[in-house]
Amino acid sequence: MNYVIRRILMLLLTMLIVSFLTFLAFELVSGDVAQTKLGTEGTPEQVAALRHELGLDQPFLLRYGQWLGGFFTGDLGVSYYNPQPMWELIGPKLGVTLILAAISFLLITLISIPLGLLSYRLAGSPLDGLRTAFNQLCMAVPPFFIGILFSWFFGITLKLFIPEGFPSSIRANPGEAMTQLFFAAVCLSIPRIAMTVRMMRSTVIGEMQKAYVRTAISRGNDRRGVLLRHVLKNSLTGTVTFLAQTLAELIGGSIVVEQVFGIPGLGRFLVAEIRALDYPVVQTIVVILAFWVVLAGTVADLINQRIDPRLRLGGAK
Amino acid sequence: MKKKNWNGFLIAGCVLTGVLVALMLLGKFWTPWSPTAMDAKAMYQPPSLTHLFGTDKFGRDIFSRVMQGGGTTLTIALATIAIGAALGTLVGAVTGYFGGIVDDALMRLNDALTAFPSILLALLIISLVGPGKYNVVLALGIVFIPSFARVMRTQFASLRDVNYIISARLMGAGQLRIMTVHMLPNTMRTLLPALTIGFNNAVLAEASMSYLGIGVTPPDASLGNMLRDAQSALGRAPWYAILTGVMIALLVFGVGLIGEGLQKRDQEVD
Repeated sequence: MNYVIRRILMLLLTMLIVSFLTFLAFELVSGDVAQTKLGTEGTPEQVAALRHELGLDQPFLLRYGQWLGGFFTGDLGVSYYNPQPMWELIGPKLGVTLILAAISFLLITLISIPLGLLSYRLAGSPLDGLRTAFNQLCMAVPPFFIGILFSWFFGITLKLFIPEGFPSSIRANPGEAMTQLFFAAVCLSIPRIAMTVRMMRSTVIGEMQKAYVRTAISRGNDRRGVLLRHVLKNSLTGTVTFLAQTLAELIGGSIVVEQVFGIPGLGRFLVAEIRALDYPVVQTIVVILAFWVVLAGTVADLINQRIDPRLRLGGAK
Repeated sequence: MKKKNWNGFLIAGCVLTGVLVALMLLGKFWTPWSPTAMDAKAMYQPPSLTHLFGTDKFGRDIFSRVMQGGGTTLTIALATIAIGAALGTLVGAVTGYFGGIVDDALMRLNDALTAFPSILLALLIISLVGPGKYNVVLALGIVFIPSFARVMRTQFASLRDVNYIISARLMGAGQLRIMTVHMLPNTMRTLLPALTIGFNNAVLAEASMSYLGIGVTPPDASLGNMLRDAQSALGRAPWYAILTGVMIALLVFGVGLIGEGLQKRDQEVD
């Protein structure tokens, strides 16, 4: 079977499992929603009527099917506390988070690939130990702590932005909003850049020891040329996979960093809704984020398959 | 070849981690000031010899609170990693050694679970069971199982047909004995660095969750919820946030160096 089709079928299967697990988890915990909504005041008849109205008297699998169907047709269900259509609640916040993730991803890609190639050249030099230690240090600082440091230094001391003063929407004050999003993106990127550099470095070192590199050099090519023309290309598949994981981790990281800067994104909304026990909203956000992660992995596999003919022919791993 | 047991990273990491862990363990029994004693006359004092890290908005000694909160963070991270590594190794051993349909089913479930970013999965579990330090351990413990299971499965699968395992099997060793006595010690090279990475992820995850206010909740102190507290006083007492955050970073940095050192040691043996 065609690889692309097979990969997409696998994607759909994983999405199905992920959404089912989420639905099941919330089903187990949210208890009787009708009872919760009406409180102790509700008579059994009222509870039964509300259960019917909410469709809770239907079998579990049927409700899962309806919910999943609604998910793809834009009917995401209704929040316990907010009568607005769920999409209107979530849409703008998803947009903000996507901008944040996009800036971070750009920073990570543009900085870590050249740094990864450069750091190979330090291998074996006395500075290498120092570089490794610095790399570990960058991975050790939690993004939200960098965020707090930034708020203090760039926000309170240098007054480049107002800490926790994110404008009500990006359109209201684009300059201030973008400044804050930029600093938040830097916080998110620092540990991830360190991880990517570390990963690239070990891949490049591994590639440089291979026979084709020795051959290329013995034929009179210079190291730099071999590095850029051959090794970079061969290290690319691993890097693409890693960057896809990065895209996934950025979503997790943005949950915390949005809180630091008070950015009205999906992550911050999720935390607020978890604390308010608003299960329909939490469930929807969780599934959106998980789909995002699975999708990133699939896209990475498809890209890898395009750039590496070995994968296309189904030969070497 | 002679095995070089120590290197710079390992030594530096052990010293740094040792000092911090000793300080945090000590904090369970003794702190210079009571971590909860309030002093209205000493609000937001900058760091000094009396109060090493200064005081917070209630005049509580931050250094004492960091010692105690650090202890909570440390205990949670260790408990989390114990649960994750033990169950993950168990799953990995069974699936890797026996293979077959159980392997396929569990690995599909594993794939689905890794589709959730770890913090998201932890938040999901917390939203189901509620906050508090024991629930954080439960949530993070579950979250860490899949990654350990994957790593250990590869190890056990690769050892399955190695000569010394085959000969052990021929000599009549039971499955359990083969897995625990013959295979497990040979996975340590992978397990130990994985443990250091897992520990660091656990510290960072606990800190993030408590910072968000859905992890360890007051009156329990942890480095994460102290940072939450500290952020609201950033203008008046920046040292509070800076010193607390630096403690988290140093702890993770120290253990990271140990992991780096362990890997380097193994590479040199090869």
